Amino acid sequence: MKVSQYTVHSPRTLPEALNILKDATVRPIAGGTDVMVQIKDDLVKETELLNLSYIRDLNYIRDDGDFIRVGALATYSDLIRSRLVNEYSPVLVEAARTVGAVQIQNRGTLAGNVGNASPAGDGLPPLFATGAKIKLQSAASEREVDIGDYFLGVRKTVRQPNELITEVSVRKMKPGDYYFFKKIGLRSANAISLASVAAVLVPAEVLTFKEARIAMGAVAPTVIRAKGAEAAILNCQLTDEKMKEVGRLASEEARPITDIRATAEYRKQAIAGAVYEGLYEIVNGFRSPVNGSGA
Amino acid sequence: MDALDKVTGKIKFFSDMKIEGMLFARVFRSSVAHANIVTLDTAEAERLQGVRAVLTYKDVPGLNAYGAIIPDAPVLGYGKVRFYGEPLALVAADDQETAEKALGLIKAVYEPLPAVHSMDESLKPEAPKLHDRGNIARHALILKGDVDRAFRDAHLTLERTYRTQSQKHMFLEPEAGIAYTDELGNLNILAGGQNPYRDKMQVARSLNISPEKVRVINYPAGGAFGGKDDVTVQIHLALLATKTKRPVKLVWNREESGVGGFHRHPSLITLKTAVSDDGRLLANDSRIYLDTGAYQSFGPTVLDVTIEVINGPYLIPNIRIDANLVYTNNGISSAFRGFGGPQGNFAIESMMDEMAEEMKMDPIDFRLKNLAKSGDIGPFGNSMRNMEGIHEALSRLRNSPLWRLGKELPPKPWIRRGTGVAIAIKGVGFGTIPDYPTAAVELLPQGKIKVLFSNPDYGQGVNTGNAQIVAEALDLPMNEIEVVNADTQYSPDTGSSSASRGTFTSGNALLVACNKMLDRLRMEAALYLESTRDGIEYASGRFWIKGNESKSVSIYDLAKGLRAKGETLKFEGTFEVPRYPEPVKGTLEVPHVVYMYGAMVSSIELNTLTGYLDVKNVDLMADIGNVINPLLATTQCEGGIVQGLGFATSEELVYNQDEKPMNTNYTTYIVPSIADIPRMYVEFIKTYEQYGPYGAKGMAEIPIVPVGASIANALKQASGVRYYQLPLTPGRVLSKLHEQGQG
Repeated sequence: MKVSQYTVHSPRTLPEALNILKDATVRPIAGGTDVMVQIKDDLVKETELLNLSYIRDLNYIRDDGDFIRVGALATYSDLIRSRLVNEYSPVLVEAARTVGAVQIQNRGTLAGNVGNASPAGDGLPPLFATGAKIKLQSAASEREVDIGDYFLGVRKTVRQPNELITEVSVRKMKPGDYYFFKKIGLRSANAISLASVAAVLVPAEVLTFKEARIAMGAVAPTVIRAKGAEAAILNCQLTDEKMKEVGRLASEEARPITDIRATAEYRKQAIAGAVYEGLYEIVNGFRSPVNGSGA
Repeated sequence: MDALDKVTGKIKFFSDMKIEGMLFARVFRSSVAHANIVTLDTAEAERLQGVRAVLTYKDVPGLNAYGAIIPDAPVLGYGKVRFYGEPLALVAADDQETAEKALGLIKAVYEPLPAVHSMDESLKPEAPKLHDRGNIARHALILKGDVDRAFRDAHLTLERTYRTQSQKHMFLEPEAGIAYTDELGNLNILAGGQNPYRDKMQVARSLNISPEKVRVINYPAGGAFGGKDDVTVQIHLALLATKTKRPVKLVWNREESGVGGFHRHPSLITLKTAVSDDGRLLANDSRIYLDTGAYQSFGPTVLDVTIEVINGPYLIPNIRIDANLVYTNNGISSAFRGFGGPQGNFAIESMMDEMAEEMKMDPIDFRLKNLAKSGDIGPFGNSMRNMEGIHEALSRLRNSPLWRLGKELPPKPWIRRGTGVAIAIKGVGFGTIPDYPTAAVELLPQGKIKVLFSNPDYGQGVNTGNAQIVAEALDLPMNEIEVVNADTQYSPDTGSSSASRGTFTSGNALLVACNKMLDRLRMEAALYLESTRDGIEYASGRFWIKGNESKSVSIYDLAKGLRAKGETLKFEGTFEVPRYPEPVKGTLEVPHVVYMYGAMVSSIELNTLTGYLDVKNVDLMADIGNVINPLLATTQCEGGIVQGLGFATSEELVYNQDEKPMNTNYTTYIVPSIADIPRMYVEFIKTYEQYGPYGAKGMAEIPIVPVGASIANALKQASGVRYYQLPLTPGRVLSKLHEQGQG
């Protein structure tokens, strides 16, 4: 079906939008960086589009205690430019900078990345590594789902057809937390991730860690945590040997596929390398921790 | 010259054009790679409302074949399909959607045949035969000296096999055009192309009409790089416009360009090369295989260029070249910037690096030692000319900061740095094939000079270069020069924009035309000023009597007088491209008289954890003769380097088991993005080509030729591992690093 053949709803307010969702099978669209491509490839089952662009109330990035509230219309460029996000979730900024190219960052939204539910979505591993919540609203109800419970498979989520993702709540990192985001692509920009990894490490003492969250993209049907690798980091000296072992453990937990971009074997090797790289950079002073004052 | 109009969008490309009442065309393509066509049923598509014509092979009135060298590819397929995406039927409809829908109603029934995926398969005796004559489209054997004896006496002999891939042109404007019949009954075809007169001939031949009834316009096109050198949309448009008597527009989409368009020949080259104990090359025995795909297109002459570059610009006394053009079911390979050069260069320049290493010699010293000098007799009996440029280029690269500082240790242990060198040779034009480009200049009543020639300007800037040449020859400012480019109704036949020949051929032909114009005007001035032609001086558009500048007349005033007498003020010039009278035995057009040269150093950072290659710097020192327009020449070199970077590191058209191309758009076919572009430094060695217009040679192809080898050589230095296959994708790099214990 051609774009011109879709019925497009363009509500101005959230209640109107939720009302439209109540009765019809519609596909929400914000930046369109995924939906437009899927329309061209004939992958959109719905015949109606819900254009969110005019709902001004959804365009915000707000400070709220332990969380940064990111409205459904906030783009990657908004995240990159936000002082709040730079200060309290620099791992998300690091990931946002690797999304597509500037044109895509200007259109693409974080909520859209969640909604699209591709395991290769570059905005998702940081949400797993920091522990985000997804707000789903319908005309009748409202709920918040932990990011870890949100995805069911490739393009499959717990969102009901009458629900809309209205907000992503990003848990703030703490001063002193270390982090990294690594993306393996086939070129430096405008590349789809072959594999990606985001990590947040909470220090116990100098360069030992009491908490570690490592999330990997594009190596399983959903973003997954590398639990074994996380456990191996805790409360020990990160020697070179140890960092290599953590990388190896992460790669053992990855279950990638072979496709036209790369083999499964390559993705596993690359993820081991990326985890080692990130840890090495932390241990050897290439990375500063969150300082809580506009890093 | 047209840069501002292009940037502001004022220039309309053919894909942008609309003509009142035009129809939209689509091409029905095969969905199998190798099969007998049992039936092709178009009845339902014809019945669809809004469909104005559905054409098959039965509707081709003339020769149902095209091909720049040998017409062996069907205009519309019949009997047998030889690649996925072969055109079988054409639809013209009132709108794009209807044309699209009609394609879905055409039913083809095939009897599948086993597909030939690679040259290795194609060469097996039991391989299915793609054509009656077998699977080898062309074989050439060139011998000089005695390689076998040289190998017996050699200090060291290496034998290595190199492979390169299928690269797509990925021009921003896909194959596109528009056609209509005008009030005089002439067929007008406006399409992105590289040789309007050959397009005209091929269209007339397939429509069985006189070439005089066909007008082809190739300017402007949004890129070509060789991919529009042979026919793409032209004949299909002509058939539909003739049948429907309506204007017809045909624009391939990106995926269609991927399956139906041309690409670079994949290569499989084995070199056996020998040196003496003092590091002199003794022999080079090469076995070359190029995959031409289903049909020949430019394959035969592309093979000639690989033959020509396979010994580099080196002095090698004993040579054997066994070259083969092989059919497979992999689309159609054709012209692509470098035209067989990058493939051969990757092999010989990788070999030179490995040989230098084995001999414990510096790679630049090794090359300089073996580089031919002016007056030496080259591999094809040709006298090597103007070799000082490449000697200087290579010597100076040694002083490049990249070469000196490349070995500095990076801060992160998984990053390894390396620097690699490669040099390149590439002929300008068609070698020994007779080439008589014609161009014209015309004095216009409004006080301007019109410049007419047919090599299309598809973005490389030949219009600007030629305007400069004419301005220089006539000593006039640039704003008095206008260009009419690539329109067979007005532009004389200057031949193609290909083989780096644009400026060399049309520039020279224009100089002949300018001289004719000045000569005619000088006589008229003599008459007017009551002097003789020898008693007159000329500068800046004015003639005057020697020693008496007050008695003068402008060329535009002279033109008025001549025009009043009914004289046309259009002067044509034809240039004879210098050539050897006969090709070397076994070849079609080898050697050339005029060669371009280049020397390149690339520096890279390899990530040994991910196999990712970051090309940091590329320096190119090129001998392209005297430079007509430094800005255009530099930017074109940068474009060539970037296209070479894609060839070296990421670009490869991949087929699935059914021989369907899988990565046909910018998401999956990985061309370098702006973030991948290295810091580039381009310098032109000061040389002067005596046969060139104002000393110019050509330049479009030389920057791309050495990129693959220079990066692979840098990677060897960085990793200790030598790669014999392009592209150097992270997966390929990492798996070999692990294999060799370097990961």
